[in-house]
Amino acid sequence: MEPSGSVAAQPRPPTPLVMVNAINKRFGGVRALRDVNLEVRAGEVHALLGENGAGKSTLIKILSGVHAYDSGTIEIAGRPVAFDSPAKSREAGIAVVYQDLSLVESLSVADNLLLGREPRGRFGFVRKRELMAQASAFLTQLGIPLDIKATVGSLPFAYRQMTEIAKALMGEVRLLILDEPTSSLTSDEVRILFDAIGKVTRRGVGVIYVTHRLNEVFEISQRVTVLRDGANAGTFVTADTDMKRLVNAIVGSDRLAPAAVRAQPQAPRSVDASPVLSLSDVSNDRLHAVELSVLKGEIHGLAGLIGSGRTEILETVFGLRSVESGTFEIDGRRWSPRNPADAIDQGIALVPEDRHVQGLVLDHSIERNVTLSRLPYFSRWGWMQQGAATRRAETAIGKLAVKAQGASSLVRTLSGGNQQKVVFGKWNDPRPRVLLLDEPTVGVDVGAREEIYGVIRQAVRDGTGVFLVSSDLVELIELCDRISVIVDGRVARVLVRGEIDDAEELHHLLQMLQASGQSAAKDALQELPA
Amino acid sequence: MTELTAPNVVASPTSSDRRRKLLQNLLRGERPYMLYIAFVILLVVFSLSSPWFLSVDNFLNIGRQTTLVSIIAVGMTFVIIARQIDLSVASTLALSGMAAALAMSQVNNSWVVGAVAGLGTGALVGLLNGILTTQLSIPSFLVTLGTLSMARGLAMMVTNTKPVIITNETYFAIFGEGTFLGMPVPIAWTLAAMIVGILLLHYNVFGRRIYAVGGNPTAALYSGINTKWVTTAAFVLTGTLAGLAALVLSARSHAARPDVVQGMELDVIAAVILGGCSLFGGRGYILGTLFGSLIIGTLNNGLVLLGVSSPMQLVIKGAIIVAAVAFTKR
Repeated sequence: MEPSGSVAAQPRPPTPLVMVNAINKRFGGVRALRDVNLEVRAGEVHALLGENGAGKSTLIKILSGVHAYDSGTIEIAGRPVAFDSPAKSREAGIAVVYQDLSLVESLSVADNLLLGREPRGRFGFVRKRELMAQASAFLTQLGIPLDIKATVGSLPFAYRQMTEIAKALMGEVRLLILDEPTSSLTSDEVRILFDAIGKVTRRGVGVIYVTHRLNEVFEISQRVTVLRDGANAGTFVTADTDMKRLVNAIVGSDRLAPAAVRAQPQAPRSVDASPVLSLSDVSNDRLHAVELSVLKGEIHGLAGLIGSGRTEILETVFGLRSVESGTFEIDGRRWSPRNPADAIDQGIALVPEDRHVQGLVLDHSIERNVTLSRLPYFSRWGWMQQGAATRRAETAIGKLAVKAQGASSLVRTLSGGNQQKVVFGKWNDPRPRVLLLDEPTVGVDVGAREEIYGVIRQAVRDGTGVFLVSSDLVELIELCDRISVIVDGRVARVLVRGEIDDAEELHHLLQMLQASGQSAAKDALQELPA
Repeated sequence: MTELTAPNVVASPTSSDRRRKLLQNLLRGERPYMLYIAFVILLVVFSLSSPWFLSVDNFLNIGRQTTLVSIIAVGMTFVIIARQIDLSVASTLALSGMAAALAMSQVNNSWVVGAVAGLGTGALVGLLNGILTTQLSIPSFLVTLGTLSMARGLAMMVTNTKPVIITNETYFAIFGEGTFLGMPVPIAWTLAAMIVGILLLHYNVFGRRIYAVGGNPTAALYSGINTKWVTTAAFVLTGTLAGLAALVLSARSHAARPDVVQGMELDVIAAVILGGCSLFGGRGYILGTLFGSLIIGTLNNGLVLLGVSSPMQLVIKGAIIVAAVAFTKR
């Protein structure tokens, strides 16, 4: 495998850091990867795109030594390598940050960073002070603002993720693989992450960046590789391509959603002027005198950083948090949420932030999940009407275009986007008066995201009022009639559609409002128990 | 790294896939087929090794011996599917039996009063278990460890550990010694408990809620289910069934004793787990539980007939339970 200089006349680019050649991988009868190629150069951010199930995860797991591959070669800096364990991959300088984190929650940030390589004194005791100093120096060098003494389990998710990334960067790393690192980060935190990635690539580390957010691709990557159905669907130089070409490569022009659920961008719709739900002067442990309302057929966005109180507003309306003062009106009637059952009775529905923990019973069937929130509709005198329940689940599967074998498929076996559609299916019928959406498209692939937008738009056409919490500013601008910016449990600013039509602008506004309130990072860190 | 290794592509299953799937279903599928096979194997082994095993009398014997465990195991199935545990059932049985016998001796020797007192006491202990578990958020393992001790202590205190004699013939006939449709009444009561259990768990909204609370309590709460109430109801059901078992036992022995069935909670839990319930909640079947308790009963019976010493019986029983759970776990 000696590189020979005389084969081609044209000047050769420098030897790539990582070369993946014609990798094949089967799982039983399924071809997960077919002749997949990937080339990452030193100091490059190489984005890896594709729908769920396109093969990204499999490719990453092969690079990290978790899976073996059937045929093909991998070279690092021109030398062929063969990994048979994650340890070997790590030795070769490959570090992976997965979506689900691998931190010890009961230990501090510093302890986690140096886990297994703690500085030790005589008799094997850990030198605590030295450990702290090392961790602190390392984080300062990376520019990641973390409190090294904080217990990881008590940190907001975003900070846990940064801890994980920092941990992956310790030691000799040549290739850093980030698997959807921003899916639960706010825009400010994404900024910090990107800064950190910039520092890393300047040292010559190559980065494979897996994401569903296309705007990030343009912001951070130099090149993009798209996988579809386990095969290469194109590699692009980021500067020479655009959003449309990438989406085409990802989805494949032949596989768009059925027309019924496809999004109809900017379809004219009438927003009825009567508020379906309004909060006035609502306060509790996290909210301060919140004034908000959502009109019939309106999408009202709630923007803000993680920990700003966006999620808490939804939770309070849904009866998950107690109310200290203030009043609620639903369709003009006074009402106060006591518990979720009470909220559901009033026609309020919640698609929660974490579908695995809050939205679904993963080991149960689609039918069981879809009917769970509406059991009274499928029973008489308490006895289940199984036929009605199954029909309902099948209707939901059809209407929402859930890709599954049937109503009895276990939710665990579905992809992220299809799981999220099942969560929507829980509230499909009867139509909710108010739909509370908390990060409805996190971890959802491009195709399913458009379909979910279609579902949301259909709901508002039918007269539902929607509160939409999202960290994806493009999503907020695209969908919302009004956007309220939440800072520190208060409504800091209300924007009407047209006032802002650029994510960059909204981002600056968020930062300004946040700064004029209190500094976000300081806030989040102060909330942590000492 | 919890992500499934195979990508989400629907492929047509090859025949080897299908065969593997079938085997997988047999071993650890939704329904505990393995359990039925194990039960049959057990029957064959004992029939071949003991001439007395394969007889109607002996099967009725096994039936009678398993009634107490089977009746309570129905309730325990609900509790375990709801991701809880109830260690207090044997003590609850003892206390309920004492309550039934004492109530009868105090009030006109009426069997109705006895039955109400027995069932009511069981239900009350269950209610206490449920309320402590859900309202104070104490793990049910600890709550019921406490009530195990308290209920047993109370049962012994009320008569200073003396048994209470029962003399009501109707009570004996209804709960212990009569027949119903040709069945000894203890077996009829067991069947009744099973049927109620099957209806509630598999055909009623309550069952749906139990599965959801055990499968994912947070998602259940977010779906508008009163998870505390549902959990408490499972404990009350179990307590009430422990009360029913107390009526059966005391009617059979014409007396209530405060020191009966010590340690039986372990047989009950073993039966439910053998029957395919997951200790992590959200999975289980009443029919599985029935077979679980039959296996335990058959083991007890068969090992005695084979003349295995009782210490050895304990060892064998324990080993079989561990092996069975290892086989059927996910």
